[in-house]
Amino acid sequence: MTARADFLARIRREVAKTTGQVAASTAPRPPHPGAAADAIRRELAERWPQALERFRQEFERVAGIFHRVPTVEAAPPVIAAIARERGARNVVTWDPGALGFDPAPALAREGLAVAAVSAGQESEAARVRHRAEAAAAQLGVTGADFVLAETGTLILLSGAGRPRSTSLLPDVHVAVFGRDRLLESLEQVGVMLEALHVDPDRATSGAMINFITGPSRTADIELTLTRGVHGPKEVHAIFVEAP
Amino acid sequence: MSDAALRTPFPERASAALKDGFLQEALTIATTKFIDLRRESFAGFPQGEALRDQARAIKEATLQRLDAHLDRLADNVERLGGVVHWATTAEEAREIVLRLARDRGVRMAVKSKSMATEEIDLNEALEHAGITPIETDLGEYIIQLAHEKPSHIIAPAIHKTKGQVAELFSRELRGQFPADPEVLTAVARQALREKFLQADMGITGANFAVADTGTVVLVTNEGNGRMVTSLPRIHVAIMGIEKVIPSMSDLVVFLAILARSATGQKLSSYTTLVRGPRRAGELEGPEEFHLVLLDNGRSRQIASTLREALYCLRCGACLNVCPVYRQIGGHAYGHTYPGPIGILLTAMLKGNESVRELAHASSLCGACKDVCPVRIDIPRMLIELREHLDRDKIAPWGERVVFRAFRRLLMSEPAFRLSARAGRLLQRPFVRGGRLRGLPLLFGRWTRTRDLPPVAARTFRERWKDLR
Amino acid sequence: MATPVRASLMITCLGDVFFPEVGVAMVRLLRRLGVEVDFPEGQTCCGMPLFNSGYHHDAAEVAARTVRLFERAEHVVVPSGSCAWMVKTEYPGLLRHAPALRAAAESLARRTYELSQFIVQVLGLGRVESSFVGKVTYHDSCHLLRGLGESASPRALLRSVPGVELVELPGADQCCGFGGSFSVRLPEVSSAILDKKLANVEATGARCLVACDAGCLMQMGGGLTRRGSAVKAVHLAQVLAGEADA
Repeated sequence: MTARADFLARIRREVAKTTGQVAASTAPRPPHPGAAADAIRRELAERWPQALERFRQEFERVAGIFHRVPTVEAAPPVIAAIARERGARNVVTWDPGALGFDPAPALAREGLAVAAVSAGQESEAARVRHRAEAAAAQLGVTGADFVLAETGTLILLSGAGRPRSTSLLPDVHVAVFGRDRLLESLEQVGVMLEALHVDPDRATSGAMINFITGPSRTADIELTLTRGVHGPKEVHAIFVEAP
Repeated sequence: MSDAALRTPFPERASAALKDGFLQEALTIATTKFIDLRRESFAGFPQGEALRDQARAIKEATLQRLDAHLDRLADNVERLGGVVHWATTAEEAREIVLRLARDRGVRMAVKSKSMATEEIDLNEALEHAGITPIETDLGEYIIQLAHEKPSHIIAPAIHKTKGQVAELFSRELRGQFPADPEVLTAVARQALREKFLQADMGITGANFAVADTGTVVLVTNEGNGRMVTSLPRIHVAIMGIEKVIPSMSDLVVFLAILARSATGQKLSSYTTLVRGPRRAGELEGPEEFHLVLLDNGRSRQIASTLREALYCLRCGACLNVCPVYRQIGGHAYGHTYPGPIGILLTAMLKGNESVRELAHASSLCGACKDVCPVRIDIPRMLIELREHLDRDKIAPWGERVVFRAFRRLLMSEPAFRLSARAGRLLQRPFVRGGRLRGLPLLFGRWTRTRDLPPVAARTFRERWKDLR
Repeated sequence: MATPVRASLMITCLGDVFFPEVGVAMVRLLRRLGVEVDFPEGQTCCGMPLFNSGYHHDAAEVAARTVRLFERAEHVVVPSGSCAWMVKTEYPGLLRHAPALRAAAESLARRTYELSQFIVQVLGLGRVESSFVGKVTYHDSCHLLRGLGESASPRALLRSVPGVELVELPGADQCCGFGGSFSVRLPEVSSAILDKKLANVEATGARCLVACDAGCLMQMGGGLTRRGSAVKAVHLAQVLAGEADA
């Protein structure tokens, strides 16, 4: 293996040979990402109905299934119905704190086995148990940290109480979100990502961010589209109206 | 492609591809579909053109300070608890991964699709060391089982029919599977799910790495990219140095156009941002994150004519529109990277001699440049490559003699006129029905399949006096 | 009375030797449109075959010669998109090491036009009278389409002829497989590409295939006659001059 200094020195030498190249600039960055993010949030606080409608269209275009409930209490019955229809017996969910509600009681009443993650329990034993639960679940319930209307995308931050596999291992993924998550454009996502990374350890407790745009898919065999290759076959988004 | 196969001259490999009926049909269907998807996607995306310009500018700007960005990337990755490795050559990169795997007792590694790992022949090295690499991208899984190489940058098994895949799965996975993509996908899902959960190591490439934050970005559709970076205890990402970009603001510019260019999607199903190993509060995620930065001939191009090839996003759009690729497919090119950009990348990674024949595998039609998301001027660089082949005397001596003679002819109008007259005389035995057929030597290559118009009884310049 | 537009013909090597009738049609057409046409003697070729195959020193010599030959031309009209592209786009770069020649090349680039662009941009004509009658289809030559950004003028001119029925060619923007020396370096690939093109051509039901490039016409015309097709490959100039059956 080459030493870092030598590796970079070689590149520097090559770069130095190319002075006088065409002037080119990188993308403009918000000078105050936090303030820019706040401004976007204020804008979306007004525009959320349009953003939501756009999201629904784009989400459905990528085969997402959209639901709308008046309050967060109305979400668990919808989740239960989805589980019933898909013949799911085991459900895994994020920590209720991360979800903003606790679906476990309602789901358990429907006869579903619910494995809810608890933030703050990251022992090796907890890891092993969680992996088994996630692998055995047919349905996973998460929140969504950002919901992008332009492309029908759910953006999930991993972290304490919000494991990565909840939206990955089960056949069905259900994401529950409210109006405060909506964003309209990829450009706005860029601002949010800039803001998040100003002090990332404060903004998030995890190392992964996943953009999820519809179910897992492939067209590797004769360009025929199939879903549910490794990730979920179905993605549901439940919008909770009440702010 | 094996060295033995590479000893077959490229024109012969191309001919064999032309005669492969399955391949021809598969290529037509797949490339046509990709072309339509991309066109539709950009048709409904008026900002697309400006974003392509911006993406190209970002790549150029990044190259102008590449060392600084890589330095910053490394600092940030290390700050997060990741380890950065610096691989000048393919061999070094292989060694790094092998040593890591051996030291950590890795027996099985799951891989997400990575052209960089193909480029360095990582799988073979792992297998020789007794470590099992499992390709998990469906297309890569298929070709791994078939002991083949990928034939397209983003759709590796594009050359296989569903019947061939069914036969392959039935044989290798010991079952009886119908030629139904849904069924076959489900078979792969089940077979690979176990592997994800049991693997010791996950190996990926990287579509981008954000210097500002130490984030590695994977653009995928199947979910295997997420599995491989969350379930095994070690994640190794192998990345060409040219993939670094400065900031998150730059990232979203590329995300806006990459999937559209590759498959016509607005975004791929999954875009995964990995910032080091798992954090303290996480139940899942690797304990270790390793980033292998790969040079393998790239830095040498920063100050050369192939510089623009370093902008490449590996989207495959140029393959889909290339009249040559569409006829012969990826394997005939004989190297890791096929298609228009593949010729440039091969020259970059293996030297000009390696593209002695491939540099001419292009009609210079320019369709590739038209669709490249970062507007790489591939035809221009192919011409430059050809210039290097002449300058460095790699082009065959006979060819160089012919072209020099041709120039002398063009520099003298009397000589030019004389050759026309000579042509008129010499062609007589071959004129049939006002067309030339069955010509000998070089011209025979034309007349085997096409007529030639004969040298006119009176050339234009001879008729000019009557028109004057 | 306005001074007539003066144009010098760059006939191209293929045009001179294999398609003189195209040059003749062009001269007659331009004269009918009020253009004074001359033909600088001594011209041979733009040098593109040398350039494309990487023989740039040689191509530069040919470029320098051409630049001098057309020094005094008010306009240079070329019946070939690829040759016009070569002069307009590549000559200045090829001659960059000789400042005077480079300046002359830049001047030539500004004065050079492919035929349809000349008619539409310089003569300002959107329509041409022609006696041609028949169904035609049009192929976009790569260098005219992508090199010079031109796809509208040839079509507009064709449509303007009352007797012409223009049928759009599926995949019109796809390469015909000529590519200069490509056609003999990789003849089988070139022919396979050509077959796809001609299948599309014949499916249009057109009686003439029109193009603005001698290389494309050689390739496609050669394929059409070899398969005994009823479709005739002709140059735009021939249709507009009413000489497509010549």
